[in-house]
Amino acid sequence: MNALLDLYNHPAWTHPLQHPLAYYQAVALLLLGLGLFGLIWRKSLVGMLVGVELMLNGAGLSIVAGAQLTRADAAMGQLAALLVMGLAAAEATLVLAITLVVFRRFGHVEPDHASELRG
Amino acid sequence: MDRLAVAAFFGYALTVLAGGLIAVLASSLVRALAGLILTLFGVAGLYLLLSSPFLAFMQILIYVGAVSVIIFFAIMLTRPPAGGEEGERRSLGRTLLALVGGLAPALLLALACWRYGSASNRVPPSVEVGRLGEVLLGPYVLAFELISLVLLVAMAGAVLLGFDRRREP
Repeated sequence: MNALLDLYNHPAWTHPLQHPLAYYQAVALLLLGLGLFGLIWRKSLVGMLVGVELMLNGAGLSIVAGAQLTRADAAMGQLAALLVMGLAAAEATLVLAITLVVFRRFGHVEPDHASELRG
Repeated sequence: MDRLAVAAFFGYALTVLAGGLIAVLASSLVRALAGLILTLFGVAGLYLLLSSPFLAFMQILIYVGAVSVIIFFAIMLTRPPAGGEEGERRSLGRTLLALVGGLAPALLLALACWRYGSASNRVPPSVEVGRLGEVLLGPYVLAFELISLVLLVAMAGAVLLGFDRRREP
């Protein structure tokens, strides 16, 4: 109850211009939530990949907002987001290859039904 | 000017929200990819608002230009089952699990961010691209080399996985 009251009185509620970091973080967390939802809810590997890309975008946005809007080194934050983009590209390539292998072997790309050990 | 910034922020945030919802909920994967691209453009706009235009252009170049094309290849190279890729209904339990699994970490982190978040300055500093290059080859040189190694290994692994293994009779 006390925490809720603190949250209600938080200065971030006043105006986005007074506390912009909280708003950027809210967008980043929105992307994280949507990505996790898609990752669990989707049935095909490609749909799950879309969810992962959403999450990685949220991570990059959070890093850049945290670096640009606090006293942290802005250049390092931007470069960290750039590294996240590079990792996302590598990950997408690998998932494409894995998707192709799964499709070739099972005829579909649904991880729920891709199992060879089921009797 | 301030009002313009707030309006632009909420416009981009709405773009991100709408694109993300399409990307997650659309029953056709091509539409989901279009929603993802909308989200990527929204995030690029937020990078512009954070006065890091270099990142915004890299976002469009890498994500919209490369990653979404890769996802499009993945959609096109796999045959969808009858009735669309994601057409069939989910069970209620799966939807509930996805809702809880998506909402709980985001809400927890939001609570932490809003209660213990550090004070933010109002105007983001602008960094020249030259300074970015200096930092990349100064303190970040190890990460720079490692990311090139990761990309090389990923490409080699993708090519290796793509080979058709000849089945022995």
